[in-house]
Amino acid sequence: MEPAGQAPSGGAATMEVTSTPTGPGVDVSDVWRFFGSFPALGGMSFTAPYGQVTALVGPNGAGKTTLLLILASLLKPHRGRVLVAGCDPTVDPAGVRAVTGWMPDTFGVYDQLTVREYLRFFGQAYKLGRAMLAARVTELLDLVHLTEYVDQPVHVLSRGQKQRLALTRALVHRPRVLLLDEPASGLDPRSRVELRDILRDLAAQGTAVLVSSHILAELEEIADRVVLVAGGRTVGEYAMADLRAQARRAYRVRALDPDALNRTLRDQGIAHSTVDGAVELAELTEEQAAQTLAGLVAAGVGVVAFEPLGSDLESVYLAMTEERR
Amino acid sequence: MMNPAHVWLVVAQEFRIRLRTGRWRWLLGAWLVLLALFTLLLDFGLKTGDSYLPDHSLRGIPLFGFLMLFVLGSMLIISPALTAQTINGDRERGTLATLQVTRLRPAEIALGKLLAGWSVGLVALALSIPFAGYAMTQGGLTIGRVAAVYGVVALLIGTVCAVSQALSALLARSITSALLSYVVTMTLAVGTLVAFALALPLTEERVVAVNPDGHRYTVNLSHPERVWWLLAPNPFVIVADAAPRVPPRVSGTGIESYDPLSLIGNDVRQLRSPQGWFVYTSGSLPDSEDKPVWPYGLGFSVLLGAGSVLVTIRRLRTPTDRLPRGVRVA
Repeated sequence: MEPAGQAPSGGAATMEVTSTPTGPGVDVSDVWRFFGSFPALGGMSFTAPYGQVTALVGPNGAGKTTLLLILASLLKPHRGRVLVAGCDPTVDPAGVRAVTGWMPDTFGVYDQLTVREYLRFFGQAYKLGRAMLAARVTELLDLVHLTEYVDQPVHVLSRGQKQRLALTRALVHRPRVLLLDEPASGLDPRSRVELRDILRDLAAQGTAVLVSSHILAELEEIADRVVLVAGGRTVGEYAMADLRAQARRAYRVRALDPDALNRTLRDQGIAHSTVDGAVELAELTEEQAAQTLAGLVAAGVGVVAFEPLGSDLESVYLAMTEERR
Repeated sequence: MMNPAHVWLVVAQEFRIRLRTGRWRWLLGAWLVLLALFTLLLDFGLKTGDSYLPDHSLRGIPLFGFLMLFVLGSMLIISPALTAQTINGDRERGTLATLQVTRLRPAEIALGKLLAGWSVGLVALALSIPFAGYAMTQGGLTIGRVAAVYGVVALLIGTVCAVSQALSALLARSITSALLSYVVTMTLAVGTLVAFALALPLTEERVVAVNPDGHRYTVNLSHPERVWWLLAPNPFVIVADAAPRVPPRVSGTGIESYDPLSLIGNDVRQLRSPQGWFVYTSGSLPDSEDKPVWPYGLGFSVLLGAGSVLVTIRRLRTPTDRLPRGVRVA
């Protein structure tokens, strides 16, 4: 572990937080951004608090990447205001950069460098001291399991490994705010689990993590909060737990006696259909599902399987984007 | 505003990447062979043309002159390639934005990349020094003349690199900026000559001239002193004219008429004086004042280079408001 109180870091990877940050890590209020006359962002607003992983979820073209570019101090918003760690990137980009880590969705790495050289370069570009940099490089490569590649050229890394290397680049200066654009895309399941663990750890240490994706299920286990966006606007902001509670989804039911099952459902007035020989119930909340199951059991139906179909979050997401039309 | 250590960080990074991508050893080796071949043949040519050279002991002067024109011409071909893709190429590879979000300033990134490209050019230039050294052994050359010419060529390489880099910062596609860099370089090297040749007839005036026998007649007289500046930005003109004049002791031998640098330098200086044709015919030759052209050319060149660096810095500044068509920030 590094000595605490290292320059601009807020102690992202150490438990000691040098200054208690006030306000949210990311504060976006009514942000507009046009490309030509097309509004890529049309009044997006949300916050991403410290110590939590916030998922920014929406279909392709919802404005997620544009927003992250604004937060990363690369693009100016045309209207509205964003604050990253309390700094306005249009006014004080240097202040934002010192405390923000950003990983774009598509990025290049310097193929000719070794993994160590790559990280050292960015460490120096973030003004880390030489002595602490060497330790930081070791620590980060250990974190993403790339230690054995330290002296390998970057081009021998696989796609997933490059993604992990890019994550270490974004983390090299211990940012208090971490912005990741589609980090889970193209990762194998194992890498995804590792990414989840890393992000959960960072959040636990007080970092504000903002992760974008167009697949809600991808972030189901990573995020504490979900910001749904579509067409450049915020559609809703939810705690992941609330979202699960109100999620409706279809259930598949199997019983010892399919006829009895069908009959009972008909008698109890529960909408259902038969798909490939199995009975499927129309979309239910978790509470409705529990009641239905209790009803079936009470009626003496020998239920052998009662399983939800698909991700619960996917259905919320589909419903949200449905409403928009 | 700018931290030299950070500029150096970018220079070192660029250098490392360049060294590991290109086949530098082969390219520089080929350049060395080309230089050797050129010098060898040139030397041979001047030796066999011995009878024409007024003084064999001054053979170093024309040898160096031709060599440096060849070196300059080659550097004008090499230099745009060194920086014409540094900014938009990085953008295409997706490595620019990650650099811009670090704590490096735009000026540090711009200068670092420029210095890296420029120094590759300087390495290529330095490879010609042994051949210039050989020319020095052939007599007539002063170290001052050699140093001045090398200094000016080095500066011109920097200008071309800076302009090419600015184009790569301005244009979205690296292939476009590479092409345009060559257009700009060719404009300086050839376009200025064409412009001068086209502008000269526009300065023509009908004047009345008097023969020594008193016979009066009208004649078209052009005024190169009004358009000489079109030639000033020409790199060949700058280098030739910036080369110190050969000392009178030497110029008395007529060796100058075999040295391309002296020839070009004298010619452009004469263009600045009003043409004496009709004055000549009326019996008196005007004093050809020694008005150098190179300070204007070099000044223009330095301004062009500095302006290009500023443009590059501006384009690297983030957050940006406008994006060039078809550019993704990341």
